[in-house]
Amino acid sequence: MLKVPDHQVAGHKAGNGKLGPLVDDSGHFYKPLQGDERGSNEVSFYASFSSNTRIPGHIRRFFPNFYGTQLVEASDGSGLQPHLVLQDLTLGRVNPSIMDIKIGSRTWPPQATKDYISKCLKKDRESSSIPLGFRFSGLQIYESRELGFWKPGKRSIKCLSADEVKLILRKFVSSHASEEMDSKPDCTFASVVYGGSAGILAQLLELKAWFEDQTIYHFYSCSVLMTYEKELISNGKSPNAEIKLVDFAHVVEGKGVIDHNFLGGLCSLIKFISEILTTPDECTTESSSEDFRKNRISEDGAP
Amino acid sequence: MLKVPNHQVAGHKAGDGKLGPLVDDSGRFYKPLQGNDRGSNELTFYTSFSSNTRIPDHIRRFFPKFYGTQLVEASDGSGLQPHLVLQDLNFGRVNPSIMDIKIGSRTWAPQALEDYIQKCLKKDRETSSLPIGFRLSGFQIYQNRELGFWKPERTSFQSLSADEVKLFLRKFVSSNTSANLDLQPDCSFASIVYGGSTGILSQLLELKAWFEDQTIYHFYSCSILIMYEKDFVSNGKIPCAEIKLIDFAHVYEGKGVIDHNFLGGLCSLIKFVSEIITTPDECTTEASPKDIQKNQIYFENGTS
Repeated sequence: MLKVPDHQVAGHKAGNGKLGPLVDDSGHFYKPLQGDERGSNEVSFYASFSSNTRIPGHIRRFFPNFYGTQLVEASDGSGLQPHLVLQDLTLGRVNPSIMDIKIGSRTWPPQATKDYISKCLKKDRESSSIPLGFRFSGLQIYESRELGFWKPGKRSIKCLSADEVKLILRKFVSSHASEEMDSKPDCTFASVVYGGSAGILAQLLELKAWFEDQTIYHFYSCSVLMTYEKELISNGKSPNAEIKLVDFAHVVEGKGVIDHNFLGGLCSLIKFISEILTTPDECTTESSSEDFRKNRISEDGAP
Repeated sequence: MLKVPNHQVAGHKAGDGKLGPLVDDSGRFYKPLQGNDRGSNELTFYTSFSSNTRIPDHIRRFFPKFYGTQLVEASDGSGLQPHLVLQDLNFGRVNPSIMDIKIGSRTWAPQALEDYIQKCLKKDRETSSLPIGFRLSGFQIYQNRELGFWKPERTSFQSLSADEVKLFLRKFVSSNTSANLDLQPDCSFASIVYGGSTGILSQLLELKAWFEDQTIYHFYSCSILIMYEKDFVSNGKIPCAEIKLIDFAHVYEGKGVIDHNFLGGLCSLIKFVSEIITTPDECTTEASPKDIQKNQIYFENGTS
């Protein structure tokens, strides 16, 4: 039995007659093959990647498992449609906090069509992509059983300044994330989620080492998904912090050149996270939680 | 007595009544302050950088020394003009082989004017900047006393493919670089110029480590100059291989963010250079010296 995923933070969403991904009970994620070339591009990537012997095991784990394609009843009622069958990255997770971060100051490959390039360039210039090298695509932070998730509207998290981005990255690992609280993010969980030998930063550094070397793929408009479970920490367990790369509709061949665009953005993200680990007590200087509120960050995108 | 520099590979050149930089006998380089904001931007950068205590010494050595400004007789006869006084990076060098490499897939800052951005974007897309993260801006290789320098026309190396760039980087450290474009570069000097604990690669790696961390400046349209003395290598001495950063007319404050644009391009260059060290025998697969010939590489004397 297929259903709408509980914890999707970005991308097209199924439900209310719209076309979007679905999940089953056994850890599979069904992503409808998108129109134009994007669907076939993504299948090509997964097919190539899953059979590429040059990918080391410790890097492969950062990518969703690929199970081929399947005809499935589409969520918008349009009948049987081809879907990518991927690993459900949230299987077994209870109340995961998730960030979807689109990496790279440029989200368009040089070979793209003129219209597509203009569209992407505009978005890159209006968001934090060009100045910071990455931008948020989606975000949910688990607060508590009473409060549930803090899930700001997608539009409100795209065009953030460097200090606002730092604030969100701190909120992500704090015990209180919602904007109701005037207090600075306490970054209580920074060292156990971002830090440590199995933490987010260590995983990002492994990925960075691979990107300094691999010349096989260039990943445009691709995201790093960061996930962990706050409740596990509250129960004295390790938070199961993981990074995964997702969204491969715009991957092109590397042709002997490293993916310097992705690498630059990844290094920028690494710097932001490293600073949170080394200075957990610092509040942002130019943007306080109140300034944030003025920027109309709200649930469901309402001001 | 000021004269036109012998070994300038890129930028505006003095001589024939044009405005360009000059050098003296004591190791100073006089760069005319450019019009619009570029001159004052570069001056602002050098002033800020030279007094910035957060710059570690091992990184400061990659930047030209700054001696302030001075009114100097301009090379185009327009009288006394303000000039930046910098270290002459070729001072003491005999016959340096030099590459000027503009770093970063984007040569425009987000804060720049729209017209300027469009102009830069067009160039970035037409050259190797966008695909490989850097482009060659200047190039001269010393061959020997009889042949002198191989100094291809700028137009012949502006819009190179990745494989053509690799070919140039290999030629730079080869003993058989010559008019004969059919020869594969032998990369004889790769390990001693690019490699080793004081070679080009290890200097690039030091610079990379700083760029992964520093959030003070963002360097747009800035170049890395790579220099060495081929004669020294041929005579069994060390080649004095050095990298220097130059051209700071478009430097902006980092404001707490690393210069991810420069860093990406720098990592790409590092990968190209590393590969030459590890595979010196490999010829380019997609572009042979003959392909380069089709791109009309000319000698300085006009013959092809």
